[in-house]
Amino acid sequence: MGKVKIKRKSTLIDMTAMSDVTVLLLTFFMLTSTFLQKEPVTVITPSSVSEIKVPTSNVAQVLVSPKGNVFMSLLGDADAENAETWGSEPLRREVLKNAAADYEAKTGKKTGLTPMDIEKFAKNASFGVPLDKMHEFLMLETAKQDEFLGQTVDKPVIMGNLKPKDVGIPFKDIVYTDKEGHQLTTNEFQIWMRAIYNSSNENIREAIQKGEGIAIKSDQGTKYETIHQVLDNLQTIKMNKFSVMTALKTEAD
Amino acid sequence: MAQIEQSSGDGKKKKGAQKKMAIHVDFTPMVDMNMLLITFFMLCTTMIKSQTLSIALPTNEKLEQTELQKAKESEAITMILDTEYDDNGNVKGNTVYYYTGKPQVEYNGNQITTSNLEVTEFLGNEGAAQRGIRKILHDRNKGVLADVEKKKQEWRDKKITEEQFQEAAKKIRNSDQYDRPVVIIKPMPGASWESVISALDEMQINQISRYQLGTLTDVDEAMVGDYKIRNKKR
Repeated sequence: MGKVKIKRKSTLIDMTAMSDVTVLLLTFFMLTSTFLQKEPVTVITPSSVSEIKVPTSNVAQVLVSPKGNVFMSLLGDADAENAETWGSEPLRREVLKNAAADYEAKTGKKTGLTPMDIEKFAKNASFGVPLDKMHEFLMLETAKQDEFLGQTVDKPVIMGNLKPKDVGIPFKDIVYTDKEGHQLTTNEFQIWMRAIYNSSNENIREAIQKGEGIAIKSDQGTKYETIHQVLDNLQTIKMNKFSVMTALKTEAD
Repeated sequence: MAQIEQSSGDGKKKKGAQKKMAIHVDFTPMVDMNMLLITFFMLCTTMIKSQTLSIALPTNEKLEQTELQKAKESEAITMILDTEYDDNGNVKGNTVYYYTGKPQVEYNGNQITTSNLEVTEFLGNEGAAQRGIRKILHDRNKGVLADVEKKKQEWRDKKITEEQFQEAAKKIRNSDQYDRPVVIIKPMPGASWESVISALDEMQINQISRYQLGTLTDVDEAMVGDYKIRNKKR
């Protein structure tokens, strides 16, 4: 009996074509997409027919969660030439310094912010804690910060002095007396907005004047009274031109 | 991973002939890595960029009243927005109450007997026909819409450029020769953000240039409350 010889075939598959396809796909994704920004709460924006794109530079985004917590994120000039002076990080540094100074002058309380806190703050995309708790918040690790901001009613997170009520920029009245002796009221949200407006970045000031510098983002199910406090405060400080973030509506019209 | 195979010459090597070599490079790890990168990009990025809608609000100073009085009574439409929620706090439906001109209420001492408040919804289009609040606003702003549509047709026929069209449309929207409405949008405290945006959106769709977000008055609130009570009885 002659032995049956099994012919061994090579199992090598040519992966060149596959590789080509994947590289093309990769290129496509890299060119067409923008990175998701880390946000404390996820919201679904309402849709509109407006086709104006959200600016990617010189914008202060105000995020209102359905519960009424307000977070802010700041983007400076995208122009690489201005990055040293007007970029996102220098802008955030300056805004925090100004806001803290303004807060200390008006309330008499100390914020206790260290230069390291300011550096950490400049790296963060969004923020939303009271100024007097800012130092403690910035001392936390990034994962802990996210956990704190993203907490829900069912699962409250308490970290030292940071209580669940400290999520979001507070709208509590701050009463102070100005140089001429008038009694005036303001709040931390107004302090932040003024600090942004009065920063040395002239481009963001111009954008705010044009109505492109402030973008309000909120969930479609959020009640109007919740957003009204933000709108009302913006009106009070005469920043009454702003934009609202929406998704594109697909309609036959 | 990468092999160099000598071409099988079956041992009949000619002297002086160059060795033919086929090079196989195994691309499998390359593909693996690319797939990982693609997955990463797909999960961490968005393709859709959000849109924005610009809003201008009046200042909080006491200008509003005088501004409101300027609007002719016949031109004014007041939209009151309200939203119903289910037990879980999810939006069940948006309602639009509206009246033209001044609120007209007849009050017999203990309840409202008649009012000019009417109710509708955001319904959008069905085919080419407008429905709900869009139809009401469309009918009020017919002159402007017709002329903008004419310009749009010219643009579609490539008679004018897009910039010219935009400029002409802006001129038409703000021209006083038409009978244009003034819309006052008053969201109830419980109205959803979605309904506010939809209302602002209707202004864009219907080319209404004069509109504002207003605050609810006691009369408005009473009228809506009354409407709800009367509707329940039915």
